[in-house]
Amino acid sequence: MAMQPAVLAEADQVEPRAGRLWLRALRSPLTLTGVVITLIFCVLAVIGPWIAPYDPSAVTDAATAPPSFDHWLGTTQNGQDILSQMLYGAQASMFVGLGSAVVTTVLSVLVGVTAGYLGGVSDELLSLLANVFLVLPGLPLTIILAAYLPHSGSLGIILVISLTGWAWGARVLRAQTLSLRKRDFVEAARATGERTSKIILRDILPNQLAVIAASFLGTVTAAILTQASLAFLGLTDVTQWSWGTILYWAQADSALLTGSWWWFGPAGLAIALIGTALSLVNFGIDEFINPRLRQAGIATLKAQRAQVSRKRAGRGKRVRRGVQDRRLRPAGSTDVILDVRHLKVNYGVVTAVDDVSFTLRRGEVLGIAGESGSGKSTLAYAITRLHKPPAEIPQGEIRYTQPDGSTVDVLAMDSDELRSFRWEELSIVFQSAMHALNPVMRIGAQIEDALVAHRPGSTAPERAARVVELLGIVGIPADRANSYPHELSGGMRQRAMIAVGLALDPEIIVMDEPTTALDVVIQRQIIDKIMELKDRLGFSVVFITHDLSLLIEMSDTIAVMYGGRIVELAPAQDFHERPQHPYSRGLLASFPTLSGPKKELTGIPGSPPDLRRLPSGCSFRPRCPVAFDACAERSPSLYQIGSSSAACLRYDEEHAVTIGETA
Amino acid sequence: MRTVLRKLGFYVLTAWVAISLNFLIPRIMPGDPAEHLINQFHGKLNPAAIQALRVLFGQPDASLWSQYLSYWHSILTGDFGISYAYYPADVGTVLGQSMFWTLGLITACTVLGFVIGTGLGILAGWRRGSWLDSLIPATTFLSSIPYFWFAIIIVLVFAITLNWFPLSGGYSVDTTIGFSGDFVASVLYYAVLPAATIVITSVGGWLIGMRNMMVTTLSEDYVRLAEAKGLSRRRIMYSYAARNAMLPSLSGFAMSLGFVIGGSIVTEVVFNYPGLGTTLFKAAQAADYPLMSAIFLLITVMVLIANLIADVVYVFLDPRTREG
Repeated sequence: MAMQPAVLAEADQVEPRAGRLWLRALRSPLTLTGVVITLIFCVLAVIGPWIAPYDPSAVTDAATAPPSFDHWLGTTQNGQDILSQMLYGAQASMFVGLGSAVVTTVLSVLVGVTAGYLGGVSDELLSLLANVFLVLPGLPLTIILAAYLPHSGSLGIILVISLTGWAWGARVLRAQTLSLRKRDFVEAARATGERTSKIILRDILPNQLAVIAASFLGTVTAAILTQASLAFLGLTDVTQWSWGTILYWAQADSALLTGSWWWFGPAGLAIALIGTALSLVNFGIDEFINPRLRQAGIATLKAQRAQVSRKRAGRGKRVRRGVQDRRLRPAGSTDVILDVRHLKVNYGVVTAVDDVSFTLRRGEVLGIAGESGSGKSTLAYAITRLHKPPAEIPQGEIRYTQPDGSTVDVLAMDSDELRSFRWEELSIVFQSAMHALNPVMRIGAQIEDALVAHRPGSTAPERAARVVELLGIVGIPADRANSYPHELSGGMRQRAMIAVGLALDPEIIVMDEPTTALDVVIQRQIIDKIMELKDRLGFSVVFITHDLSLLIEMSDTIAVMYGGRIVELAPAQDFHERPQHPYSRGLLASFPTLSGPKKELTGIPGSPPDLRRLPSGCSFRPRCPVAFDACAERSPSLYQIGSSSAACLRYDEEHAVTIGETA
Repeated sequence: MRTVLRKLGFYVLTAWVAISLNFLIPRIMPGDPAEHLINQFHGKLNPAAIQALRVLFGQPDASLWSQYLSYWHSILTGDFGISYAYYPADVGTVLGQSMFWTLGLITACTVLGFVIGTGLGILAGWRRGSWLDSLIPATTFLSSIPYFWFAIIIVLVFAITLNWFPLSGGYSVDTTIGFSGDFVASVLYYAVLPAATIVITSVGGWLIGMRNMMVTTLSEDYVRLAEAKGLSRRRIMYSYAARNAMLPSLSGFAMSLGFVIGGSIVTEVVFNYPGLGTTLFKAAQAADYPLMSAIFLLITVMVLIANLIADVVYVFLDPRTREG
């Protein structure tokens, strides 16, 4: 999730900014269409009887006449004007639809919120009742109830529909209430002794408006349909005009056999149209409730193909570049395995990773540290090109040196090359094994399918042996291969995750906070295991975490990220002893080290920067204790200080003098 | 296994509620439905039949509890009374004739609609943002159309105008009922239009639900990991995304079976299909309470059995529900 800061920030702000988001939902053309059609129908339902050109029941000589200037929608067998029937019918149908929705929603809210809020026995009983009513086939029950109330008017129908339809909404609202009740602001209100009714009205219901609205609109559609079905079957008062009644008479008078399409056409279209309109509004609400669906609009295939825009720009020159790539050797050292240069990742207009360069050597552990939102996870995904739209890489190079010494640019790979690069050369261990392992597949199968994909020639027994071997390496009993992820403990799941990562003997493993979700003892076991395996198998590690003391202990090199940039890059030892960047000093001062002298812990004042509104110049400036005027004007690049480098203007030659003087 | 047993208990409870509702409704309705019903027969009933109807629909002279006990006795012995609409046939016989038509047609079409809709939903979710998304408004419109109205249109086009398929009924009256090739062919021929109606109008709902579940699932970590593992697109789409996205869709399927089957029943009326729907319609027209309430019970039982099957399939698909 840290991967998509812009989107995440939006989702977090749903509650306070609900009003404005509603307006945004209206900007979607489909939702807007739905709202407009719904409003038109509502207006017609109200003014229908006044604008109807004829008395809908008046019999004339113009029998079964097709649409004409006098009768826009034609006439029935008795010469009644169908347009007038439709307009009168709109009133009855919409009245039943809205009336049922009101009664049903009130019932659903009452039962759902009560059950969810009270919990315990009342919850069990009410949920059971709701489930029973949900399973009972509604329409047959409605038909029976309607049949016992012969020629019941709209009110009777509303009552019958509500009695059979409240369960669905109640179920959804119960689940919502249950999760809301555990939220901090509700707990807080309860702790301060707020009256229950007040908490429900003020804290719970407003947060459920979207769900209530969705269930309300859904019920309007269902009720209009049910009323039409009942009327069509002749179970309502057939002399009261509604869309269903029109269809009843059309069927009773064999409109079908005389080919009078204008007779039954409009009523069905009207029902379908209002149903479609309400569904469209509901889709809008769905996207409002579920931000992932909103993203779906952005995450189009086209956008996915354009993920690496830099690559597309260079397509024409690809062959030449390929030749170059093979010749290219990173300067200085031959054991550099990954060389990232000037990498930039954008989410739309927001830059999440900006001008990041680093190298990773064979067998090295590179630690990347930073607060949430600093771009460290985005960087991890970008290295493997697992970033999802709207994220894209407008510039940068990621050069991977293969074991045979040749170098390839990861950003220039096509999808086949990328597929074989992934896992074979570079694998990832995710933060939460709980979420990263497929819940419906056995652990063994999840290891095996990487083998199937990359070793097409291997036989089943070979793969099974490898699965057992891998599980052994990470210390999981072989019989656990047949377990599902939920059957393992948290620590074992994370080790299984590492076994998946090791499956193909990759050269590099990117670990995105692999131990954050675990308790300290298990965390220690996992880290020891990773270090042991690294020494034994010789892979390189990019280790991402916000836990600095852990990083200092296990890394060879540390990169500190802030606001999407690397602000300090240094050997772990130097970093620990002589942090150069003011931010690094702040970080070190806010973490206890595992060894070393006791010291007072101080935090960094202020909060991580908003990537959408980065300050001018150095992005750490607002929180920096040693900032000076030039920091607002110029964004610092990395300056070399001994074996470390830091992005701070204090190390710029021009200012070093001034600082020396003032200090 | 325990999950299934608990579900089974729940369905038994639901069946009990349905039967009790059936007992209560005629007794709390205004007027005296039993008296009204018996008068409708204009004295054609013998005393035993009258007594049977009174047990089912209300005995003013007995206590509610003793009425309830004798009601259960009737239900358990399969005595649902005499049908007024199909007089002198008793309700059991009428149901026996019509239920297999409905079972065949509606089971097949509901499952078919679900499978097609879910399949298209997987594709639409996987290729979100492609032209497939433009299907959504169209399928929304299709699924908003009243089943029975769509049936009318289909009849108008394919039976009356083009004359490709028969107008109504379940089989050709020229054939005799039995397992002959002619009869089966005629049943299939007559089922085409009703089946098409149910499938086409139900596909849209499943499609949209499954698409949205796919889109939600695709941003799960395990799908991203599958991508990182360099698996083939097909493998990611089916074994990782669709396999998980299907679970909520399947429980939604189970939950809405009652609704779908209810809707399909009205479709039968348009085609005059010899199933439970048409029978229920005729019963409702004639205020044939014995037949109506028996059909309601039968449909409820069918829905419950279908739900139970869906639950077993669910347990089979989701290992997390298998825990003891």
